[in-house]
Amino acid sequence: MTISEPRAVEVPASLHGALAELVAALVAREPWWSKGDGAQADAAGLTDTDPEPAELPTPVVRSADVLQAGRPGLLSVVADVGDATIHRVLGLRAPGEESAFLPDADPAPLGLFDDTDGLAIVFDALTDASFCLALLRAVTGADDEPGPVRRARSGRDHDSLVFDDRLVLTVFKELPDADGPHPGLEMLLALDRVGFNHLIAPRAVWRRGSLDLGVVQDYPAGSTSGWALALTSLRDLYASGLPPDQAGGDFAVEAKRLGTMTARLHLGLDEAFGRVPGDPGAWADTVASVVRPVEPDLLDDPAVAAMLDDLRTSTTRCLAIRTHGDLHLGLVIRTDIGWLLADFPPGGAAGERSAEDARERAAENRPGSPARTAPVFRSPLVDVADMLWSFHRVAERAASERAPSEPPEVAALARAWEARNRRAYLSAYLATPGIGGIVPRVPGLVRSLVAAFQLERAALARPSPA
Amino acid sequence: MPGPARSSATVRGMSLAADAAGVPDHPPAYGARLPPPEDDPLWFTRAVFYEVFIRGFFDGNDDGTGDLPGLTAKLDYLQWLGVDCLWLLPFYPSPLRDGGYDISDYFSVHPDYGTVDDLRTLLHQAHDRGIRVIADLVINHTSDQHPWFVESRSSRDNPKADWYVWNDDDQRWPEARVVFVDVERSNWTYDPVREQYYWHRFYAFQPDLNYTNPEVQEAILEVVRFWLDLGLDGFRLDAVPFLFQRDGTNGENLPETHALIRRIRAELDKGYPGRILLAEANGWPTDVADYFGAGDECHLCFHFPLMPRLFTAVRREQRFPITEILAQTPAAPAGAQWAIFLRNHDELTLEMVSEEERDYLFSEYARDPRMKRHMGIGRRLAPLLDRDRQLAELLFALILSLPGSPVIYYGDELLMGDNVYLGDRDSVRTPMQWTPDRNGGFSRADFAQLYLPPSMDPVYGFAAVNVEAQQRDPSSFLHWIRKMLGVRREFLVFGTGDFEVLTCANPSVLAYVRSDPDGADRTVLCIHNLSRFAQPAELHLGRFEGARPVEVLGRVPFPVVGASPYPVTLAPYDHQWYELVEGGPEAIDTELGFDPGLAGGGP
Repeated sequence: MTISEPRAVEVPASLHGALAELVAALVAREPWWSKGDGAQADAAGLTDTDPEPAELPTPVVRSADVLQAGRPGLLSVVADVGDATIHRVLGLRAPGEESAFLPDADPAPLGLFDDTDGLAIVFDALTDASFCLALLRAVTGADDEPGPVRRARSGRDHDSLVFDDRLVLTVFKELPDADGPHPGLEMLLALDRVGFNHLIAPRAVWRRGSLDLGVVQDYPAGSTSGWALALTSLRDLYASGLPPDQAGGDFAVEAKRLGTMTARLHLGLDEAFGRVPGDPGAWADTVASVVRPVEPDLLDDPAVAAMLDDLRTSTTRCLAIRTHGDLHLGLVIRTDIGWLLADFPPGGAAGERSAEDARERAAENRPGSPARTAPVFRSPLVDVADMLWSFHRVAERAASERAPSEPPEVAALARAWEARNRRAYLSAYLATPGIGGIVPRVPGLVRSLVAAFQLERAALARPSPA
Repeated sequence: MPGPARSSATVRGMSLAADAAGVPDHPPAYGARLPPPEDDPLWFTRAVFYEVFIRGFFDGNDDGTGDLPGLTAKLDYLQWLGVDCLWLLPFYPSPLRDGGYDISDYFSVHPDYGTVDDLRTLLHQAHDRGIRVIADLVINHTSDQHPWFVESRSSRDNPKADWYVWNDDDQRWPEARVVFVDVERSNWTYDPVREQYYWHRFYAFQPDLNYTNPEVQEAILEVVRFWLDLGLDGFRLDAVPFLFQRDGTNGENLPETHALIRRIRAELDKGYPGRILLAEANGWPTDVADYFGAGDECHLCFHFPLMPRLFTAVRREQRFPITEILAQTPAAPAGAQWAIFLRNHDELTLEMVSEEERDYLFSEYARDPRMKRHMGIGRRLAPLLDRDRQLAELLFALILSLPGSPVIYYGDELLMGDNVYLGDRDSVRTPMQWTPDRNGGFSRADFAQLYLPPSMDPVYGFAAVNVEAQQRDPSSFLHWIRKMLGVRREFLVFGTGDFEVLTCANPSVLAYVRSDPDGADRTVLCIHNLSRFAQPAELHLGRFEGARPVEVLGRVPFPVVGASPYPVTLAPYDHQWYELVEGGPEAIDTELGFDPGLAGGGP
């Protein structure tokens, strides 16, 4: 893996104003910006229906680098837009020069730009195949021709470009930390260093000073998302009407492997970022504070109250580690060598986030960011609860696909599927060698923690009444 | 030593020129249809093999048992079907306690099947029809009735005393597993005459030959030469991993075993170029690939782990069981090839799957415990699939297009059934069903004389499923598979091309491209739906931008591949094969007579 800081030739500050206008033109086209902060949009094509465009803050350029001089030219621009720090790549063409737009690209130029190389027409570089190839070359430093390029995803966080089904270049578009590393990438690199291999191997990191601007990884060819695979299993189950353990498309083997992968993830995170003492009582309070605004009655349920009280009075020593923070079936991919974790929040440290991921986010009315804010040190069982919630969601989703005239058994089958895969996932997780070092060895406490975090997860998925 | 002479002229309904003029005593001539093997040494990389259980194929002399003259009489059918090479199950004299895999004379033909001369006639007639023939050769062990063993066991100091593996106790080589765990308790059996134990990796009546003895190696090479001189195109070597034993090992895949196979191969290369060795080594692909050697061992190796995973994939409705095992399969070296199959004369073996997967396959495909055999399932293809024709077509489409030479088990081209109430592996060895007539047209003997009863099942029996009826019915499975064999012959890339799985977000879709690494041959895109529901797929075909997919069966041109993902709609268990025709859409449109306006392109 290489850390690359391509061509740090800065664009003179005198031109920053012109660049800011071009960035503003580009951002104005992006639905998640042009339609205000609360809008959702993604490659899945889901957009907010709110017709009132919000006033867009004027971008202020922080830095601009020339990645490829002359015409065609390539500029990388980091700018502040309101509270956010964004990054865009601009492609410069001499008038009359031929473009190579990717499918579905908006071919309209962003505007004009004039520097010592003369007048240029400016485009969003990530919508043009030849600019994408030039960018990959600039980031990897390699001269080879990587073959056909396609845009696998275009979102607020990042764009993913796939080259010849061999390499994927992720360009971060929103930088969560204006001065520091990208937390998702930081997690990917740290896990890679400690030998966690359920990830997509990083090949090159694109860095400018302390800022991470992108990453090149192997493309997980032939992969499919966990969500799609679970839906396949559920469709088979609902059509067969057999109990899940007898249905041909049983998912338990996969759930088991996912459990093992999750445990290895936590062991890797523990090794990479260390651990701190954890307080089940404080965790219980957090859960209560998240649940209360959405479903206050739930906290009065005797079983729930007793469970949270158990946590508050627990004397068992617990540990907190840096958790993944957004683990669900849409973020794991099945490949020919097993399961891989495709992404690390806040998104962008890897290849393709599935379309399901976007749909789920939209369904839960949360922006293109994880349910919980990373990075935080919490119980690793938070991730476990997130994945189990995802099992629940996918079973529901598959059931909702069935016609309303379907027999009520479908609901029962959905519950049975969820229970079976939950068992398989949890038992494999807890049976992974070493996991006892970071997860309490008290089965009752593990059960309560998972249940509490699931309540929290369910509450996060529900829009607050306010 | 040839067995008792018997005239082949008794065969009904066929005219064998060779018979009239007497059996030819020279090796079969290769005619216009079939070049001599040395002129086409890579023939096996493109061939479709057809496994024949001689006993069950066709009875040429009305004695209730299929035989070589019977098989010869049916060569026209096999030629019509379009197979390239027959693989004959053992035809040697044998007490037949294990389907002939217990040989009691290496230089003759079992009298039930005919004579050495009958085999010579078969080879002659097959080659004349463009069909090659290989035969099973069991070299790991013999029958306990073989004169070599009879002599070996007679004392501890006779000339053949060291031709088999003897020991004073039954404790040696405890690491070696017992293969037929449900029948045998140990790999050692006590012989009261010699008062020692002898070694057998399979049944106790199949003592293993001792290949550390150079005389035994020489004897087997003589066997090899004998049959190749007669005109056989090669051998399928049975149970190759077990030829040697060594302390501290499990006695499988030992270096000395590979050395012996190299010796046999050298014999072929020297005296019989173009003849082949096909290894039966039931193991993990990385281990089995060792039997290719450096191109100096076997020409073909069976790919055992793929087969159960094909069945798993369609039950799970996802491609990963298949792509996982293919990802772990080393490419065969130049001049070598994997042999792939759906079913064979043995049980559907589940040795090469995990215990968990075995439980899964048992529960999915062998709900009745009677269907279980050893470590597998004793069923034919059609009943395994509940006679789902679309699914059968899908599975055949897979083995005809995945990398490897496909091997078809006799009767599966009709979707014949099995009889799980018959013992051991006889369930899948019932007579071939030729006609709806008496005994299914297999034999004119009395019913009671038949080696096994033909299937009279209301669904799978010969009245419903037979060659004659399916030949008359153009939409039969038989006609379909014949058509597919024709397509496979047309595209050499199926045999020798590169294999690349395409990325597809839908886990139920398995799509791949077979292409010629040198770019000289045509390129085929194969798309399969492993689900019983219709499925969409978007394929990233960027590399083929500008090419036009042309469906291979109907030569129907499809829209040209553009920069966007190529959308495909698949019916349940669908398979779609397209040739990717390069060279600019207009040129292709003209060549194909394709008028975009007629195809719905609008005015």
